[in-house]
Amino acid sequence: MVEQTWKKWIYFYIPLTVFVIGTLFPFYWMLITAIRPDEELYRSWRAVNNAPFWTLHPTLSHVQDLLAKTSFPRWLWNTFFIAVVSTTISLACGLLAGYALARLNFPLAGFLGTSIFVTYLVPPTLLFIPLADIIRNFRLGNTPWALILTYPTFLIPFCTWLLMGYFKTIPKELEECARIDGATRFGAMARIIFPIAVPGILSAGIFAFTLSWNEFIYALVFLSSPERKTVPVGVVSELIRGDIYFWGQLMAGALLGSVPVALVYSFFVEYYVAGLTGSVKG
Amino acid sequence: MRRREVGVAYALLAPAVLLLLVVLAYPVAWEVWTSLTDLSPLKDGSGQFVGLDNYRRVIGDPQFQRAAVVTATYAVATTAAKLAVGVGFALLLARPFPGRALVFMAVFLPWAYPASVSVIGWYWTLSPPVATAYSLVMGQMKHAVDGTLGTGAWAFLSVSLFNIWRGSSFIGIFLLAGINAVPAQLFECALLESGSAWRRFWLVTVPLLRPFLALAVFLSLTTGFADLANVWMLTAGRIVFPVIGTQAYWLAIQGGQFGLASALSLTLVPGLLGVLLLLFRIFDPPEAERA
Repeated sequence: MVEQTWKKWIYFYIPLTVFVIGTLFPFYWMLITAIRPDEELYRSWRAVNNAPFWTLHPTLSHVQDLLAKTSFPRWLWNTFFIAVVSTTISLACGLLAGYALARLNFPLAGFLGTSIFVTYLVPPTLLFIPLADIIRNFRLGNTPWALILTYPTFLIPFCTWLLMGYFKTIPKELEECARIDGATRFGAMARIIFPIAVPGILSAGIFAFTLSWNEFIYALVFLSSPERKTVPVGVVSELIRGDIYFWGQLMAGALLGSVPVALVYSFFVEYYVAGLTGSVKG
Repeated sequence: MRRREVGVAYALLAPAVLLLLVVLAYPVAWEVWTSLTDLSPLKDGSGQFVGLDNYRRVIGDPQFQRAAVVTATYAVATTAAKLAVGVGFALLLARPFPGRALVFMAVFLPWAYPASVSVIGWYWTLSPPVATAYSLVMGQMKHAVDGTLGTGAWAFLSVSLFNIWRGSSFIGIFLLAGINAVPAQLFECALLESGSAWRRFWLVTVPLLRPFLALAVFLSLTTGFADLANVWMLTAGRIVFPVIGTQAYWLAIQGGQFGLASALSLTLVPGLLGVLLLLFRIFDPPEAERA
């Protein structure tokens, strides 16, 4: 018995603790920096701080500065607006396409399904150059539409893939019953299948929303004026000027803009995982 | 009836396919064409056709060769590490224990959190600008690493660490879903049949999780090959060590050489296709199973 607990510590508790500390440390570090007063942040290299891992004088001044002196509230709104519109577009397309791929028999079904899966894997690194040229030609540069139109490149395949997996878990018989009772295909789809699929739709929507909230490359390339930027780009590009880092505000921005999203994400992760496994098992 | 169904199917797929054609297929075609020209937004008119010149220039460039090696090393090394840590996460979380939900969230947070801002936390952790006893140690470590392995080695390590931190979180959760999808009896049988946990892991867990492992490796390798965001963010856009993604970014957006940059980023395609084919060969591809 004594040997058992000893083993459990070696194989379970110790690795678990190491993992959890490893995953959470950067977040703790951000929090500490965000509430550390300037006198502790900017000091000469000779005056060594004896409390590197915590602070004895927590302050909220960085948060106040961030909200009052930078365009941070503006970035929040931009990010929110872009994420909502692009998610809505992608979800609508993905819903219809996912339904067709999961439920209807037609030639090319397999081909189109695989193509959509493959497009999910085309990296932004390949796409940003041609997209930059298209955006330039349509004079959409530095507007939210540049992002609203480009985010579906990864959101549509993602939503379609996830929802297709979800639709496949709904028994066909439900729909057939509705059809026998006189519903049209669209009637059955809208009144029977979509309501059942609400959890799937919800999770696809939340994940599409967070994916666009977190997107970096396109936002970096297509937006240039400070007040148009999104949170991920704004925080990094406007609060770092050359080699000058506004550390406190930077960290406060990093926390404020993202913690709510990350928390929502974590609550819905089970749905997401179910969607992923559904599409892997087919 | 059957005819109508086909029509309905295409009608439902139309919005998605149309949008993808406009923002995906067209850009890719454009990129392939541009890579054969000397197009640049700095010059007037459309670019001149130059054949395979851009590719010849890219491949002959020693900087590219270095970037290609770094990119491949980066993709393979981080994938291996992510997989190891991810499997660790999944196995630890597979059995219930008090506080599992909290640990679960802690494990998932790195992936759920926007990379561009969590990277700031990492930057601070690895190169602390505040004078503390801790920052002196990190500074010395940087010098030691750069001194023995050459300049940029520390940056390479930092980016890899960050990528592993983020990626293993996703792979862990993903594999956990895989373990949960396997009937528990299979694991229980294995527990009775074999004594060694090590053997059990290789002979039972790995084969059962094969499709999940394949997909995880695939996603990790492709994002690794095409990584631009992570490297860009952690090095704040400076090229401390080159990967193909950042080189293409500098050429296209800062240098305005669309033709050359297109050729450069298209050199990623053989790598990506290679990974795809390899995995479809070795593992049951998830898509083919369905078809």
